[in-house]
Amino acid sequence: MKSAVKKFKGLSDKAIAWIFIAPTLILLLAINIYPLIYAIRMSFTNFYANKIGREVKFVGLKNYKKILGKEEIWEKMQITAHFVCWTLVIQALIGLGLALLLNKKFKGNELLTTLIVLPMMLSPAVVGVFWTYLYNPQVGLFNYVINFFYDFGIFDMIGSSTLAPWSIVIVDTWMWTPFTMLICLAGLRSIPNYLYEAAEVDRASKWQQFIHITLPSVLPFLLLALLFRGIENFKMFDLVAELTSGGPGSATELASINLKREAFEKWKTGYSSAFAVILFVTIFGFGNVYVKVMNKIKDR
Amino acid sequence: MKKILSVFLVPVFALLFSLNAKSESLTLGWAAWDPANALQELSKEFTAETGVEMNFEFVPWPNFAERMLNELNNQGKTFDLLIGDSQWIGQGAEYGHYVKLNDFFDANGISMDDFNPATVYAYSTWPKGSPNYYALPAMGDALAWAYRKDWFDRPELQAEFKGKHGYDLGVPKTWDELYDMCTFFQGREIDGQVRYGAAINTERGSEGITMGVTAAMYAWGMQYENPDKAYDMDGYFNSDASVEAVEFYRKMYEDCAPPGHSDAYMVANLDAYKSGQVAFQMNWYAFWPGVSKEDSDGRVSGFFANPCQNVCAATLGGQGISVVKYSDKQDLALEYMKWFAKPDIQQKWWDLGGYSCHMDVLGSPDFVDSAVYAQGFLDSMGIVKDFWQEPTFVELMLPMQERIHDYVVNGKGSAKDALDKIIDDWTEVFEDDGKI
Repeated sequence: MKSAVKKFKGLSDKAIAWIFIAPTLILLLAINIYPLIYAIRMSFTNFYANKIGREVKFVGLKNYKKILGKEEIWEKMQITAHFVCWTLVIQALIGLGLALLLNKKFKGNELLTTLIVLPMMLSPAVVGVFWTYLYNPQVGLFNYVINFFYDFGIFDMIGSSTLAPWSIVIVDTWMWTPFTMLICLAGLRSIPNYLYEAAEVDRASKWQQFIHITLPSVLPFLLLALLFRGIENFKMFDLVAELTSGGPGSATELASINLKREAFEKWKTGYSSAFAVILFVTIFGFGNVYVKVMNKIKDR
Repeated sequence: MKKILSVFLVPVFALLFSLNAKSESLTLGWAAWDPANALQELSKEFTAETGVEMNFEFVPWPNFAERMLNELNNQGKTFDLLIGDSQWIGQGAEYGHYVKLNDFFDANGISMDDFNPATVYAYSTWPKGSPNYYALPAMGDALAWAYRKDWFDRPELQAEFKGKHGYDLGVPKTWDELYDMCTFFQGREIDGQVRYGAAINTERGSEGITMGVTAAMYAWGMQYENPDKAYDMDGYFNSDASVEAVEFYRKMYEDCAPPGHSDAYMVANLDAYKSGQVAFQMNWYAFWPGVSKEDSDGRVSGFFANPCQNVCAATLGGQGISVVKYSDKQDLALEYMKWFAKPDIQQKWWDLGGYSCHMDVLGSPDFVDSAVYAQGFLDSMGIVKDFWQEPTFVELMLPMQERIHDYVVNGKGSAKDALDKIIDDWTEVFEDDGKI
């Protein structure tokens, strides 16, 4: 034991740092990096995971060309873009609004915060199933509430190609706006009070205080929340799979749902690896640009 | 000390002994539905006879194919026996997932002539119709219809219907009649509640809408390919009759389905029917024992085979039982199969609610009167048609699901476009598979 301690004591700081980092690094290499490299390699082949014994051929860029030249893939990307953009816009507005509301001190503030945060704690699959009942045109609460305000008659949120893309936006907003709200709230609470006091001394109106103090201070936080939500929603699968299964037809078939079908139902492993790489590069590219823009805003 | 030891050791030894005594066991995989419970009940007899414990893993229908095919593709050892869908037979045989059963059948005097020919063709053989058997017909099934006989029997409704359409309200003989009856009930108030026409298959995720729309397409005379030239689909699968059938199915969805019935399959159809929403439900025979048994609150169910149109045909369901190649207990699994193939066990299987395919059961003079749906079942099994059973059937199924759902439920494009696009998708799959 003593000798072990002695040996450990003899290690340099760098060596000790490596000992601590090594397990994480090994896990990262095994779970993330190796599968990524393997998937990239697969993407250049015609491999089918279910066709045992079939010769695996190198096909060069064929899979990539096929995917990028397929009109339907672009349709899925458009559906994904619609979902991501609208959820981000709505969640930013409502999230910031709720954060501003909860930043005020009033009775029941904490209880309200807890209630608002609840949906985020549920499993997406459960939320998906739960909302299929809420959207049911005959017995669902959603139709009832809408018709309470204006008589639209019976409408099918999930079965209509016009409404279904909005049905998933609504559910995602219901579930994840609290996340945006929490991060914005953290931002709001970090704004020092003296800034508002100084503004009041300068006779700045509430609106001017919001534009010149609150918004610039909370913006980096909001952008960070939107970055997380953007990445998550680009990969969204479980909630939509449970809610609409990508239907009606392909009206809500996000890129990730299509990828899962190609990879684990049709077993087109090579093709779907190429698709996964394309999605990865897209999200990585967008993410990087976004972070750079975010940093610029922060530096201003 | 001895006392203490004996207190602890006796139960330990007893436990070990009991585990050892029950060490022979088999695991059977199937879908989670009523017949699976019946099989579990039936298999108790096998355990009593042989001492082999039977374990079951029943997977809900929406995940059934995915779960089981993943298991097979990964050469998993979870299952010794698998009751797999008829369409899997090509994959099971070609990729070596299933044990070939010819030698076993010969050695044990099991003859395929003892089983209904349509079920042998559909559930057991690969290549289709060849005497190469990879499964024993286990559960005969076809898509059929249940209807609210109690509503149909009401004199005022009968008179109104006859006045409107000029013929009696009863079991529809054609899809046109089915449509007339469905629309007759659509939005009608009966006993103070608004009712709808028919709960039909519209499910998008697995196979639902394909199984539903093909029930119409077969009745219109659709063929998947040129009978003289394999995989030549243009002009057959997308023939005028096929287009008409798909358009008709959409009309059924728009004019007869209850609101919100846009992603419905077995359970949703059952729910719509049992809750009194609809006059008709489309579903598999497998569910009729349950529906019949659960008739209550004045509900009386009638059952009938898929109506004819240009021809008489029905969508095939059902499964064969196979021994998984990756099982370490193949001999034991074959023992189970031998037991299951016995005529008296097959009779018990039918009595418990399973659909036996054995000719001794189906040909028995009491069979037709043994259940209200028995005659329909016999009729259906004589006219069944199945989807592609190719090894690539999932690749073939998914585009059909998407295209048909897009047209029928989503209202996108035309039926002809949908069928043309399906042919394009299928051609790509067959080319990829080296079949074209």
